[in-house]
Amino acid sequence: MTRYAWPTLSLLVAVAIQGNLPSFVSVFGVQPDLVLVVLIAYSLAADPAFGAGLGFIAGLIHGSAVGMSVGSFIVTRTLTGLLAGLVTTRLFSENPVVPALSAFWLTLACEGAFVFANPRVRFAHVVGTILVKCAYNALLALAINRLLRHIETRRKIRLANARI
Amino acid sequence: MGPLVRNKTIFTIATLLVVGIAIGVAHSRSLDSARPLLVQQAVRGVIHLPAASLNRLLLFGADSARALRPRSMIQRENNNLRKRVRDLTAENASLREAASENALLRKQLALKRSLPYNTIAASVILRRESNWFHTATIDRGSRAGVERSAAVVNHLGLIGQVLESTAFNAQIVSITDPSSAIGAAVQRSRSSGILHGQGADYLVLTYLPKDADVRKSDLVVTSGVGRVIPKGLVIGRVVKVVRNTVAGTTSALVRPSVRFDQAEQVLVIKPAQGYTQ
Repeated sequence: MTRYAWPTLSLLVAVAIQGNLPSFVSVFGVQPDLVLVVLIAYSLAADPAFGAGLGFIAGLIHGSAVGMSVGSFIVTRTLTGLLAGLVTTRLFSENPVVPALSAFWLTLACEGAFVFANPRVRFAHVVGTILVKCAYNALLALAINRLLRHIETRRKIRLANARI
Repeated sequence: MGPLVRNKTIFTIATLLVVGIAIGVAHSRSLDSARPLLVQQAVRGVIHLPAASLNRLLLFGADSARALRPRSMIQRENNNLRKRVRDLTAENASLREAASENALLRKQLALKRSLPYNTIAASVILRRESNWFHTATIDRGSRAGVERSAAVVNHLGLIGQVLESTAFNAQIVSITDPSSAIGAAVQRSRSSGILHGQGADYLVLTYLPKDADVRKSDLVVTSGVGRVIPKGLVIGRVVKVVRNTVAGTTSALVRPSVRFDQAEQVLVIKPAQGYTQ
């Protein structure tokens, strides 16, 4: 359970930032999905079960913050975490291109499934919105993944030093 | 991966999905029954602290940045504000005159006040958390008297409605959200219809009669139909009128007077008894 503590805290911070994003960060009216990016960044460095568990938490947090379609948020994020975890077992996730590309296609899969499962979402501008969001998330994933890896490495070194 | 581990993983994932679907169903039911889901209430309680802290920090940062501007800019702004105060004082005097005249006429006509409500001031602490929904969280909940379906306004007009209210915060849904539909009327001609959110910056006023008297720049206000949102709240202005001669319908594109992403301080209208559902 302690494994989930830092990622959960990061997700809470991501939701807080997401809800306070200034309008100038929007590209064609689309904002990046920080919660999804944080989820992908953590899940890429973990196993599928952990990714799914974290996806469940991310969906619950994000869905509760939005206040609509909580179930769709949970299911799509759980599957996204699972897929991200599966990527880890097949690809070398330390390569900086992997998080960016993974963020792109995982956002595509996640939002595609969300729109498909959610009758409240209008299909009018869905394709454009999703593609812009995928590109935006991919760029952000590069930065966030690097930051998280750095924090994680520092934490591991600190723990190792403490043991010595 | 051994078969035991694989089976455990599959079981975990299946359980998470089933629980997720169950929470989704329970949430839909909670929206219908106006009783917030306990899990969601707890999660929102946890989110409230970082969200409110970050919101205050950003406001403080913006205030500090404003205070650090060059002196000449502050002086210019001060002069503009003084001029504005003079103009508003004059306008206020004439409005007071009109208000007293209005009160007298109302008394004479023995009319009741059409909008009997009190308001609750609140700040937006989270907004547009998703690209698909136009929702926001305000820092006042059921303890402050915020009720479900109550109208949310600011000085420019109607912003939306309360979707869900927990003890310390409430979720509001904008009139621009695709799920939003409210009774509205053109103020000039009183042609009324239903105003739908499009998930974009514009609204569509539908169910207008074929020969509805609607023109560009007409002011659109709430009609009070349904008795959920009070009558006469400003919504926006008509930017385009579409008349479909084949179907015999008229619809109007309306630009809301309030930009949802820029609303910071809001007022929740506390309906009088028997005013809500």
